[in-house]
Amino acid sequence: MFLNTIEESGLSTWIRETESPFGFYFILLLHNIGLSLAVGTSVLIGLRLLGFAPDLPLAPLKKFFTVLWTGAWISGVSGVFLLLAYPTKALTNPLFYVKLTLIGLGIWITLRIEKVVFDDTKASEEVKLARGRSLAARSFIVWLAAVSAGRLLAYTYKYLLYGRTG
Amino acid sequence: MEFQINFAHLHLLLNHIPVIGTIIAVCLFLISFFGKNDDLRRSSLIIFAGIAFLTIPTFVSGFGAQANIAKQPEVSKALIERHEGAAMLSFWFMEITGALAIVGLWQFHRTSRPARWNVLAVLLFSVVTVGLMARTGNTGGDIRHPEVWESREAPVTEGTIGSIVHVFEPNPDKFTRAMVFSKWETAFLMDLHFIGLALIVGIIGALDLRILGFAKQLPIAPLHKFVPWALAGLGINVTTGMLVFIGMPVYYTYDAALWLKILALMLLGLNAAAFYLTDAFSGVEHVKAGEDAALSAKLVAASSMCLWLAVITLGRYIQSFPDTIN
Repeated sequence: MFLNTIEESGLSTWIRETESPFGFYFILLLHNIGLSLAVGTSVLIGLRLLGFAPDLPLAPLKKFFTVLWTGAWISGVSGVFLLLAYPTKALTNPLFYVKLTLIGLGIWITLRIEKVVFDDTKASEEVKLARGRSLAARSFIVWLAAVSAGRLLAYTYKYLLYGRTG
Repeated sequence: MEFQINFAHLHLLLNHIPVIGTIIAVCLFLISFFGKNDDLRRSSLIIFAGIAFLTIPTFVSGFGAQANIAKQPEVSKALIERHEGAAMLSFWFMEITGALAIVGLWQFHRTSRPARWNVLAVLLFSVVTVGLMARTGNTGGDIRHPEVWESREAPVTEGTIGSIVHVFEPNPDKFTRAMVFSKWETAFLMDLHFIGLALIVGIIGALDLRILGFAKQLPIAPLHKFVPWALAGLGINVTTGMLVFIGMPVYYTYDAALWLKILALMLLGLNAAAFYLTDAFSGVEHVKAGEDAALSAKLVAASSMCLWLAVITLGRYIQSFPDTIN
C-alpha cells in the first residue's frame, strides 16, 4: 500500500509518464554520469595505489576525490528520484538490497583510502602505497559488483509497478 | 521529432572506405618493411585505426540499406544474406586490425617502435582483412550489379575459396534470434558496456581535467600512461555495443540517438587525431607539475569532454528515440 501511495504521487507519475526530455531518461542519464565519475575516478586512484605509473605523485591525486564525491552525490540523488518513480520495481527485488550493501561497502572503502592514504600528509609515499594496496584491490571488486548489480536490476525485477508484474 | 536518412545512399558512400582503405594501408605497411621506414609504418597504423573507426557506420548503415532494397522484387534475398555474413566477418577482422594498430601506435610512442609480435599480428590480420573486405565488396556488388555476374543467374553458389570462407561467416539471423531469446546475454553485454564507460570517463576525464588546469600539481606525462586503460574501455564498448546492435539491428537502425552517438564518436576520433598528430600532444607531454598546458591542448581537452558527454547522453536516450528515422 505504501508503495502504491508513492507511485500515485504527482512526482512519481511525472517522472514515469512525462514526455519531457527531463523525465525518467534524464534522471537515468544523471545516475550514469555520476556513477561513471565515481567509479572511473576510483579506478584511476586504485590503479596508482596498485603500483601503476609510479612516477605519478600520489599527493596531488587527492584533488580527484572532489570529482569522485561529486559523482557519488549525483548518482545518489538521482537514484532517490529513480526509486520514487519505480519503488515497487526496486524494493521487491532482492538484488536492489545487494546493490545498496555493495555501494555502502564501496563508499566505506573509498573513505578509508582517502583517510589512511591521502589525508596523512606525514607518511612517505611507500607507506601510503603499502596501506592503500589491499584497499584498492577491494575497492575494484566491490565497485565492479555494485555496478553489475545495478545494471542487472533492469533484467531481474518481478513487479514493475504495484500489482503489475514485469 | 523525425529525421531523414537514405541508408542505401549512406552505405554506398561509406562502403568503399574499408575496401579500398585497407588495400592502401596494407601496401604502405608492406613498403615500410623494405625501406625500413618507421614514418611510413606509423602512417599505415594510423590509417588502419581510422578505417576501423569508419567501418562502424559503414556496417551499421548496411542494415538500413538492406531494408531499402529488400522490398524490390528483382533483388535476391540469398545474395543479401551472403553479403551480410561476409560483412560481419570482415567487420570483426577490421576492428581487431584497428585495435592492434592502436597498440602498435602506443608502442611507437613508448619505445619508439612497435614490438615484433605486434608487427606480425598487424600484418597477419590486415592481409586477411583485405581479402575479407574484398569478398564483402564483391558480394555487396553482386546484389545490385547483374552486369558483373558471370552468367545470367544470380551468383548464389560459391567458388572454392568462397565456400571455405563462408563456413566462418556468421549467420545473422541465428545471432539475432539468440540475442532476442536470451536476455542474460544482453544483460551481460550491457554490464560490460558500463564498466567500459567507467574506464573511459575515469581516465580520459582525469587527463582532460588536468590539461584544462585541474590538479595542476600533477605532471601530465605519467597521467597519460593510464590511457591504455581507457582504450581497453573503448575496445570493450565497441565490442559490446556492436554485439547488442547485431542482436537487434531493426530496433537500433531507425534510432536517431544512435546515429548522433556514432557521429559524436567519429568526431572524437578526429579530436584524438588533432591531439596526437599535431604539436598539442608533444607540448602536453612536457608539462610538469604546476605548469599550464598550451591553449591548443586545452581546446582539444574541452572538446573531448563535450563530445564524451554527448556520447553518454545520446547512448542513454537510445531507448527513447526508436523509429525516429525514415
